[in-house]
Amino acid sequence: MGLVARAVEARGIPTVALSIVREITEKTPPPRALYLRFPFGHALGEPGQREQHLAVLGLALEHLFAARKPGEIRDAGLRWRRERYGPPDWDALRRRTSNLEP
Amino acid sequence: MTPRQSLSRLKNRLLARVFTAVPGLAARWGQAMAATGGEIPWAEPRKPLGDAVLAVITTGGVHRTDQPPFDMADPDGDPTFREIPVDTPGDALTITHDYYDHRDAEADPNLVLPVERVREMTAHGVVAGLHPRAYSFMGHIDGRHVETLKRKTAPEVAERLAAGGVDYALLVPA
Repeated sequence: MGLVARAVEARGIPTVALSIVREITEKTPPPRALYLRFPFGHALGEPGQREQHLAVLGLALEHLFAARKPGEIRDAGLRWRRERYGPPDWDALRRRTSNLEP
Repeated sequence: MTPRQSLSRLKNRLLARVFTAVPGLAARWGQAMAATGGEIPWAEPRKPLGDAVLAVITTGGVHRTDQPPFDMADPDGDPTFREIPVDTPGDALTITHDYYDHRDAEADPNLVLPVERVREMTAHGVVAGLHPRAYSFMGHIDGRHVETLKRKTAPEVAERLAAGGVDYALLVPA
């Protein structure tokens, strides 16, 4: 996965990758990663949990614009099955994914 | 498939369930992996996401039921990829990947290929567009296939994304 992200980034397309095993991500770091302590096959969360999926995607897309150095891994800070997810704050997400300056 | 290969696949699938249930094992496996050195590439984001096209790439072994499955007989994995139109209905998708427990992802493909969720983001103006084609690899690439992935198949997908006018890519693991 890190290798695919690197190939895409090397072609000039900025990437963000989800990561569920920090140790594996650190061995072949993609340019930007959002780390989740979730089980294999569940990077977005639990089946059918739309608001959880949107929360994860939102954090990943924010990291795409917030990361400043290659290989930066952001910890999502979400606990598996111990968080409550509400509707996304679309305004905040639009704002945080349009900032092109550091 | 020979009886030996069938037995090997069964063993891999059972191990995958254990690894999914006990994340600490995966962490130990990761620590033992070889590191990939070299400079990490970097492309600066130059467009607000609300004006941009986003592509989705998965390493969850997803493919259409009418596409050839990933090769599970090779212990070093399969470095090829499948191009998946994002309007493929969920029941026309399947997963061939013996190295993780994908029962939940079969029930809700968004767990590994979140095209419906990205579409919601486009409906709310967070993303201007979802690229019409998603790309799928299987993870667990080892041995000689690592070079094939690095030098051939991953750059081929990158080229297709660039040719398709993609601005950003999201990668989702198994």
